[in-house]
Amino acid sequence: MLKKSQLARTAKKTNRTITFWLLVGSLSVFFPLYMTIMIAFKDPSQMSNSIAGILAFPKSWSFDNFQQAMAITDFWHTLSNSILITGATMIVAVIFHSLIGYAIGRSMQKRGYRLLYLYIISGMFVPFAIIMMPIVKQTAMLGIDNRFGVVLLYSIFYLPMNLMLYTGYLKNIPLSLEEAAAIDGASTFKTFWSVIFPLMKPMHATVAVLTALGTWNDVMLPLVLLSGTGQNTLPIAQLNFQSQFGTNYNLAFASYLLALIPMLIIYIIGQKQIIKGVVNGAIK
Amino acid sequence: MASISIRNLNKTYPDGVEVIDGLNLEIKDKEFIVLVGPSGCGKSTTLRMIAGLEDITGGELAIGDRVVNDVQPKDRDIAMVFQNYALYPHMTVYKNMAFGLELKKVPKDEIDQKIKEAAKVLDLEKYLNRKPKALSGGQRQRVALGRAMVRNPAVFLLDEPLSNLDAKLRTQMRTEISKLHRKLQTTFVYVTHDQTEAMTMGDRIVVLKDGKIQQVDTPENLYNKPANIFVAGFIGSPQMNFINSKVTQEGSKYFIKIDGCTLEIPAGKNKNDILSKYAGKEVVVGIRPEDFHLDQAFIEMAPKSLIDVKIDLTEMMGAEVYCYGKIDDEAIIFRAPSRFRPKEQEEIVVAIDVNKIHLFDKETTESIII
Repeated sequence: MLKKSQLARTAKKTNRTITFWLLVGSLSVFFPLYMTIMIAFKDPSQMSNSIAGILAFPKSWSFDNFQQAMAITDFWHTLSNSILITGATMIVAVIFHSLIGYAIGRSMQKRGYRLLYLYIISGMFVPFAIIMMPIVKQTAMLGIDNRFGVVLLYSIFYLPMNLMLYTGYLKNIPLSLEEAAAIDGASTFKTFWSVIFPLMKPMHATVAVLTALGTWNDVMLPLVLLSGTGQNTLPIAQLNFQSQFGTNYNLAFASYLLALIPMLIIYIIGQKQIIKGVVNGAIK
Repeated sequence: MASISIRNLNKTYPDGVEVIDGLNLEIKDKEFIVLVGPSGCGKSTTLRMIAGLEDITGGELAIGDRVVNDVQPKDRDIAMVFQNYALYPHMTVYKNMAFGLELKKVPKDEIDQKIKEAAKVLDLEKYLNRKPKALSGGQRQRVALGRAMVRNPAVFLLDEPLSNLDAKLRTQMRTEISKLHRKLQTTFVYVTHDQTEAMTMGDRIVVLKDGKIQQVDTPENLYNKPANIFVAGFIGSPQMNFINSKVTQEGSKYFIKIDGCTLEIPAGKNKNDILSKYAGKEVVVGIRPEDFHLDQAFIEMAPKSLIDVKIDLTEMMGAEVYCYGKIDDEAIIFRAPSRFRPKEQEEIVVAIDVNKIHLFDKETTESIII
């Protein structure tokens, strides 16, 4: 048994430097979040020019800002658009990007596939601003300047990153499983669908979370493709809070908090899967 | 049930590396054949070519009467057990065994019946609803065997199935696989680098080296009549001692000289007077560790085959002692009864059983007399 003095000594063994930086890190996350919550629940009249006024608790907690923000952004309509686009992109990413990752990842010994891999990966280095104008023109010409077009383009934009993640993960899956499936009589697609796809679950979670976060928060692509079509997504509708003469922070922050909720849910579900996957992967 | 004919089989990888070179082998129906050899000898590649997981560069491979060079693995009527088991981690034991049958569109109740039967034989009934990660190594290997069994294949292929198990479990599984072979009455092709597994399980053993067959024979013949120095050294533990020597002739008698001691080669061993070609030439003498004798009776009986050995080290194995020593500066090892423990650096006299010695050609390494 440890004596009290010994216990105290063990307890003292904290890494001060790391603790300090962790504190700084968490403050930098919590402070803006705190500010957002405070402002979202405050009446505009309670806002003052002093920092203390902004950071102070609201005199009365009211949901008026949320109601107004929902009305201005046509919340349920824009939310359903955002969910539709994000959800569709997520499904396409998980199913098709893993399939492409499998096809390329298991054929890397062939030169053609290696080149294809590098070609797709190099897409990560192309900034959206450069291709924005041609995309607007082309989608208009093809008649896909709508939600379908946005999903299609997101699926392409996220392919490089997801391909890299999937091919990387594939290295953890032993080839002998596929050989066993081949002897069992499975076709290549059946092997993918029944053996490889379920085993990639941890990577599906990562891909789904990253893709969903990116598409949910993106403003530019829906802005150039969807504005004026009546199919706005949440980030576009939120631009309404900014006017030539200023920004209505109370309403904007209330709206941001509302938009945060679906992502939070996806993240929590996804994170659970990732942890589960890591634990599964550790026991071979 | 099927035989396997391998005729002039070749395997060359795209980078030009030749792993299998003109392999010829006839495996009989219901035979338990073991491919054995050091790593990189091409034994696994041969097995994978039989399975259809590896393309055949040249030659012909037939299972039964059918040439299967270009037949898909699933259509070869084979089942394979992998070294790392290759169980589908996300499926239960039951699903693992059912997967192949479901793909063959076997009716559900028939699948159920087959799996229950296999589970009974392999003592897996309690674990059918578990996932592989909740099983021990031995249980996983039994599931892998069960997955192969339910398919009722003509040929069982096993690729080092016991090398991931601990020593005790390995011995246990060895007998279980042998029993399974007797029960199923199917052709088994078994790959291993472990000569004990090969000797205890195989009806016949194929010894491979550098993609070439060195010898195909029963375990007994492989041990007693090795075809060359490689087989002689590979089979048997501790391995055979090799001592360089010279053949001398006096009339119709032939002798070899080891460390100043002249041993007469028994006339019965010199079949067709083969030694006449080697008179005055250098040869390699092979002596198994158990063919050195220390007991007084043997020493008195064979006064002409005595030799001095300087002991370097002894290893107590329980029932016997392994003695490491030197004859004429060449390291040797021999077995002795456990009551016998010479001291280190002690010089002792041992008798060589000349009826059991092997002679090998120094250049071709082929066996001259056995």
